[in-house]
Formats: sequence, C-alpha cells, structure tokens
Amino acid sequence: MLAAGRSQAMHFHARAGEKVRNAVLQRALQKAKPLFVGKRAKGIASLAEDGLDFEMLRSTGKNIRNRNLADLDVWLDIFEERATATGAEVLWARDGAEVSRLVVDIARRHGVSKAVKSKSMLSEEAHLNEALAAAGIRPVETDLGEYIVQLAGETPSHIIAPAVHKTIGEIEALFATEHGRPLETRTSADIPAMAQEARAVLRQHFLSAEIGISGANFLIAETGSAALVTNEGNGRMVTTLPKVHVVITGIEKVVPTLEDFATLMRLLPRSATGQSISNYVSLLTGTKREGDHDGPEKTVFILVDNGRANLLGSDYQDMLRCIRCGACMNHCPVYFSLGGHAYGWVYPGPMGSVLTPLYTGIENALDLPHASTGCNQCGAVCPVDIPLPALMHRLREEQNERGLRPWSERLALKAWAWVAGRPALYRWFARRAARYLNWLADGSGRIRIFGLAPEWTAGRDLPVSSGRTFHELYSARKKP
Amino acid sequence: MRLALYVTCLVDLMRPSVGFAALRLLEATGAEVVVPEGQTCCGQPAWSAGNRPLAVALAKKAMAELEAYDAVVIPSGSCADQIRNVYPQLFADDPHWAGRARVLAERTHELTSFLADVMKSDFAAPDFAGSVTYHDACKGLRGLGIKHQPRELLLKVRGLSLKEMPDCEECCGFGGAFSVKFGEVSTQIVDRKCDAIAAAGADAVVGGDLGCLINIEGRMRRRGNETTRVLHIAEVLAGGGEG
Ligand code: SF4
Repeated sequence: MLAAGRSQAMHFHARAGEKVRNAVLQRALQKAKPLFVGKRAKGIASLAEDGLDFEMLRSTGKNIRNRNLADLDVWLDIFEERATATGAEVLWARDGAEVSRLVVDIARRHGVSKAVKSKSMLSEEAHLNEALAAAGIRPVETDLGEYIVQLAGETPSHIIAPAVHKTIGEIEALFATEHGRPLETRTSADIPAMAQEARAVLRQHFLSAEIGISGANFLIAETGSAALVTNEGNGRMVTTLPKVHVVITGIEKVVPTLEDFATLMRLLPRSATGQSISNYVSLLTGTKREGDHDGPEKTVFILVDNGRANLLGSDYQDMLRCIRCGACMNHCPVYFSLGGHAYGWVYPGPMGSVLTPLYTGIENALDLPHASTGCNQCGAVCPVDIPLPALMHRLREEQNERGLRPWSERLALKAWAWVAGRPALYRWFARRAARYLNWLADGSGRIRIFGLAPEWTAGRDLPVSSGRTFHELYSARKKP
Repeated sequence: MRLALYVTCLVDLMRPSVGFAALRLLEATGAEVVVPEGQTCCGQPAWSAGNRPLAVALAKKAMAELEAYDAVVIPSGSCADQIRNVYPQLFADDPHWAGRARVLAERTHELTSFLADVMKSDFAAPDFAGSVTYHDACKGLRGLGIKHQPRELLLKVRGLSLKEMPDCEECCGFGGAFSVKFGEVSTQIVDRKCDAIAAAGADAVVGGDLGCLINIEGRMRRRGNETTRVLHIAEVLAGGGEG
C-alpha cells in the first residue's frame, strides 16, 4: 500500500470535471481518438493476410498468459537461473521504495551522475525519477512522449502515448523554452522536424549517460532475456550504449518460451498502434561478450512485486494477463473525455480503474471502479480477453462488502429494493413519481433542473411522460 | 405459445407508449401475451452498484414471476442482458436456483432479437415517412449480439430509409448511475453521440433501450435541437400511436 499516499485517485470526480472543461485538452483528445481506433482496426484486419483470426489468436494469447500465471514461480526461477548464466544479475523488489533503493545503490556503486531511460511504467510506480534526482543522479527520459512530459514536469497520461494530452502548440512552446530558441508556428507537418530537434538533444544524453534504465515488455524464461518493443529506437540506445543496464519489470511479465513471445507479439503492436510489428524489437540477453561491439558491461534485472503476487489466485488474477497495449483506454469513452491524468495514478483508463485500487488500496480509489458506463468496449478489444467491466464490478462489490460506499448511496439502493420487492407499493410510488415528474415539467415535456439528479440536468433536459405509468394505463385498459 | 412481456421500470415511469408498442408487436405474432402481475425491477441498479444481496433478492422475485412462461420478452437490451447473462452468474453457486436461472436466461429475449431471430415473423409493416439512424446500445450489442435484428426489422417499415451514423456502436454515455454520478463526463460523451446523429442527417434516431434514448434526447434538446425525433424501435415498428 506504499504508493497509496501518492496516488491522486481519490480526486477523480473533481479532476474529471476540470478535464472536461479544459478546451485545449479536449481538442488534443478528439484528434487522437479516431487515429488510435482506426489504426487498431486496420491492424486487426491485417491479421487475415497472414491467415490469422483475431478471436483465435486472442484465445491463444489468453491461454499463454494464463499458463504463465499458473506456474509463475517456476518460470521466474527458470528466468533467474538462465539470466544469471548469461552474466546478468537478478534482484527482487517487494515494492516501489525497494526499487528506488536498489537502483540508486547500483548507480552509486558505479559512480554515475546521469541515467537515460526508456519507458518503464514500473519506475513511475516507484517514483524512481524523484529518488534518482534526490540522490544527485539526473534521469533523462528518451522516449519522445516521455521526454515531453518530463520537460513539462508532468506524468504520462497514456501508457503508450504519454503526451497524448498535449497539443502541438503546447509542445512547441515547451521546446522553444527548454531548447533556448524562438517560438515558431507549428502544424502536424512539422512533427518530424520537432522529433529531429528532440533527437539532437537526446543524442548528447545517450553519449554521456553511464547507466541505462528500461522496462521490458516481456521476460523470456527459456533464454533469460528481456524483450523490448519500441518505435523510436531509443530503447536500443538506452540498453546498449551505457556501461550499466538496469531492467525493471513486474514479476507477471515472464513468459516461458520465445514461441510464446512470438505469439504475443502478433497481438501487442496491433492492439497498441495497429502495426503488424513495431519498428524495433530487441531481445536483450546477458552482457557484452568478447568481441561484441556494444552492449552493457553489467546487466541487472529488478523483478518487482508491488502488489502483483497478491492478485495470484484472487478474483482479480485475470488482470495480471495485461500486456500493456493501451487498447482498452483507446476505446474507452470515459478515457477520451478526460485523458489519463484524471485517473490519478500510473495506469489510466479501464485497466487503471482496476489496477489502481488493487495496487494502491481499494479505499484509496473509491471512484475508479465506478468511472465506467459499462459499455464493455474495453473488454471487447483487449487482446488477452481481460473482462475489465467484470473486474470493476467485483471491486464495487468489495467496496460494498467492506462498507466503503457512501451511506446515501447504500440507503437509496436499499429503499429502492425494498419498494421493488412490494409490487403494490411499487405501483403506488411509480404513479406518484410519474405525476411528480410531470408536474415538474410543467407542461413542457421536459425537466430543466432536477434536484435529485443535479449533475444529470446540468447538461441535459430530462424528458418526461404524460404522468401516467404503463401499469396504470394497462390495468385501466383491461377493465371493461 | 404463452409469453410474458416484461416492462422495464424506465418504460413504466417515463414512456408507457413503448410498453404498448411492444405489446402490439408481440400480439401480432399470434402468441398469447401476458403482462405478469407484480413485476417491478430486475435488480440491475443494485447489481451494477455492486450490492449483490439486493440484486439477488430482486432477481429471485423476478424469476418467480417469469418462470411460468414459454418466453419472456423485454423491450430493452440492458434488462434482457441482466436476466440472460447476469442471473446465471448470481446463482452459479446456489444449487437450488442455478438451474432455474439458466432456464429463464435461455427463454428471455430482447424484443428485436425475439421478433427477428425467434419468431422470424413477417409482421405487418407499418408506414413511416422519413429517415432514421440506429444507435447500437452497448449491452444489447456486446452482451447479446444485437446488431442485424433491429436493422432487418426497420427495413421492412414502408417509407423508412436507414441512414447509418458514424460510430453507431459508440456508447452514448448513459450507463445508468454513471450519468447521475459523473454528469459532466456523461454529457461530454453524449455530445459526441449527438454530433454523430447530426452527421447522419436523419429525421429520427432510433434505439432499443430507453435509457440511452432519454439521455440522447435530453442532450439534443438542451443543445437546441427540437426537430430530430428520438424513438424506441418498438414505437417505429408498431406504427406509432398510444396504446
Ligand atoms: S487490459 Fe487488455 S487492452 Fe488494456 S492494456 Fe492490458 S492488455 Fe491492453
């Protein structure tokens, strides 16, 4: 529960309002959504060219992940053994604080003053950048999106497109200030030039950093390797140029064989960016050997629990299948009304609405499992078939079981159920309610302000009926 | 065949005409249609709030009332989904109720899927002057596979032309309690739906769930659109008019 203190998830409701009213953010989001959705749809359709079918592949992917989880301890043992045999070191961390401690320790031992990073969400869970900075080590994010977010002093708002909440204008302003040059007018045609500019700055960092920190999309037990999927090539620089390479991943990321990895790779980039394969796929095994031109002299894997082991064998185990593709948020109407920051922690969207309460404490993220219309677009696109709405629903149940829901909500439900259990009373109340609504509408057929649901009528009229219920009219009709 | 019409609480309270339209459509199939006495609420609000004991109590009540019929038909994908998909889950560990829940689930149908898939009935097509666009409600679409049924039925209506809107499968943002708890977010979502409906340029938007329709109509009117009609599919298929 360590991360709880720093999770902002309890403020979801207030933040949601703020985000909905932020016109700049809304523009950025409305631009991004169709791109994500369209690219994935194309990527999934292109499976047919390889004679593959999404549903079939998806159930294979799900089975692979389920088998990984069923014997997680075994695969982790094998991974540790094989990775050690290739010259790497394997360390274990119980929580984020321990991750930070281990990394700072490694950096100190090697007398390091700058670290280049390629996106690792676990380092966000661990607040690693703050810990490094506090220890006098400068962390530099090298993924373009992460770089932008870091310059802005923010956190990522999406797991594969960290700066999706920013407009080009905002990014240009940031670059002009940070790179010390005059402001220009930019359009989407200038994106390559802006990326080039960032690349030039980052090149200096790659060459001068002595430690590279990355995540891994998967760990492969069979070979003791880490698999890293990127589109910018920065991952390769981070993992091969510095003399020390630290890989930080969650323990659930281990898969048994290269073949399993190959299957999951058919799903991951297609679900994330619609690509059949991402630009760079690195399999990192061991340290630099005799005669190798590049590669780290020291490789350390930090395998992190931070709440994951608790989910094994629980009602939420399905969530551990997640391969972090982002498709669930890309198809979520709520995510695309708010962006990721409203969710208050590392993981946004539907997967965050499940993971944040589980990792930071259910009592610390009360709104998140309710921040869903139940449309199940997330569950329908998830490449490993995680029933996200069902998991959110289970969290809602647990909130009720633990008495965490507000008393007003519990009382309202109880009263409703009590009345609905008594048909005569229910009919009487329904008739009264229909009359009352009709009276409120005052002959206009709509209610403009409804005190019982103020948030509803803040943006909508409530259309109302004639003031007679169906059952009332029906029994009147039946009588001769 | 003896079938039960289950009238959802929203229809009962907000738009009785939908119930009467459904009644006429079902009677036209030649089946004996009963509106079971004592029906109230299927328990979905309690279930979706995560209150299992209350959901179980209301489910038992509904099951006792509906079991005696050959089929149960509901003019709502969301309530049909509750009985078809959630009831069996609710009673999975209860040997006495599990079998009963399964049987009832199999006999329960959303209105358009009942007409198109079960009865395959050639119903007397009414007239409708104008164009409509169809909104696929989430629970019906992703929970029950309702997609072609309403369109097939609509195309039989004389004079009606179907104009698909962009993203017809996108959620309208209603989500029951969601739209009450997160009103601003919900409004933002339904705004996109209203834009899509406007892009279709149809005279009416049609759907199978009153919740979505109230949400869509409410936002449309607030935005100043007074002309686009918002209709339940039963109302279109039954040829309009009060029961
Ligand atoms: S929950 Fe599924 S869709 Fe969402 S990020 Fe994980 S794997 Fe992708």
